[in-house]
Amino acid sequence: MSDRPTAPAGIDPRGPRFAASITAFLLAVAVILGLTGLSTSRSFGWFAYQPLSNSTFPGDRAWDITIASLAERIADPAFLLLLVIALLFVWGVAWPRTAPWGVLFRRVVRPRLKPPTDLEDARPPRFAQGVGLFVVTIGLVLHLFGVPWALPISAAAAFIAAFLNAVFGLCLGCQLYLVLQRAGVVGRARPAV
Amino acid sequence: MTLVEALIGLAVLLAATVAAGFVVRWNQGRAHHHVPHEVVQPARLGADGLGDVATLLQFSTELCSRCPGVHRTLSAVADARPGVRHLDVDLTHRPDIAKHFHVLQTPTTLILDRNGIVQTRFGGVPRRDVIEMELARLSGAETDPQPEAEPERV
Repeated sequence: MSDRPTAPAGIDPRGPRFAASITAFLLAVAVILGLTGLSTSRSFGWFAYQPLSNSTFPGDRAWDITIASLAERIADPAFLLLLVIALLFVWGVAWPRTAPWGVLFRRVVRPRLKPPTDLEDARPPRFAQGVGLFVVTIGLVLHLFGVPWALPISAAAAFIAAFLNAVFGLCLGCQLYLVLQRAGVVGRARPAV
Repeated sequence: MTLVEALIGLAVLLAATVAAGFVVRWNQGRAHHHVPHEVVQPARLGADGLGDVATLLQFSTELCSRCPGVHRTLSAVADARPGVRHLDVDLTHRPDIAKHFHVLQTPTTLILDRNGIVQTRFGGVPRRDVIEMELARLSGAETDPQPEAEPERV
């Protein structure tokens, strides 16, 4: 009973944390770009000065993103960076062995470190990449639909998870997995033996 | 929003994240004694029995990066002490057990006494010295009977 079947192949646990630190940095930049960019900017819309405008009181300012065209929403630097991060998440979920930060870790970082004291299962970090992809995708989609603040908030949520993973080694993905499982979304109950 | 305001926003986010990380880490190594002192039936967990002195009951999932490390630690602790047994229950396919013990994070570790009664609970990665202390308390209780009420107030 004490011998749990171990995972077929283990990975160096410092690899995912290294990747998470790069992801956290990129997400921090995305938060900055999102806060300074189209997503949160408000200006005195030209229609707001019209007497028949839909503003409720004088000086009400419209969100720029709600009147921006789809092309303008896509061209927002924060959107583009978060899109790149999302694609990196897709890479990490679909082909974890060739994901760029993992390759960088194995080629450049690990040769300079001591050998790992123990290996860990490769599936939890992969699941966590999927959670990150989910969170970031929500922000991207809402941004395309012209929802203000969606981009920086989703980037911030993903940043929190990546930062806690990189610095504290906390796996929010594991906990989410259990919550989802208790809700009956994932994992099937095996008949009690 | 100006760049300065955005940087202030990022600094607030960073500070909140670091604070949350420290709170979670501080909370995880701790032993919780205010738990339902229920009797655990080993058969329900798929085990053939419990330890003679104490049982370290660990709950894990397949998608848990820190469970294998805790597994090794608890196994080493159990091996070093006669009568202490380490059980590792995989909750991946047993949401019924997760629900019963209100497991919301893995690893979660329960320390059972000789009668299979839950005495201590750890959420997250337990500290080895705290585990040793709890076991010493349990094995000491048989020779030196202590009052029923736990003076613990953590």
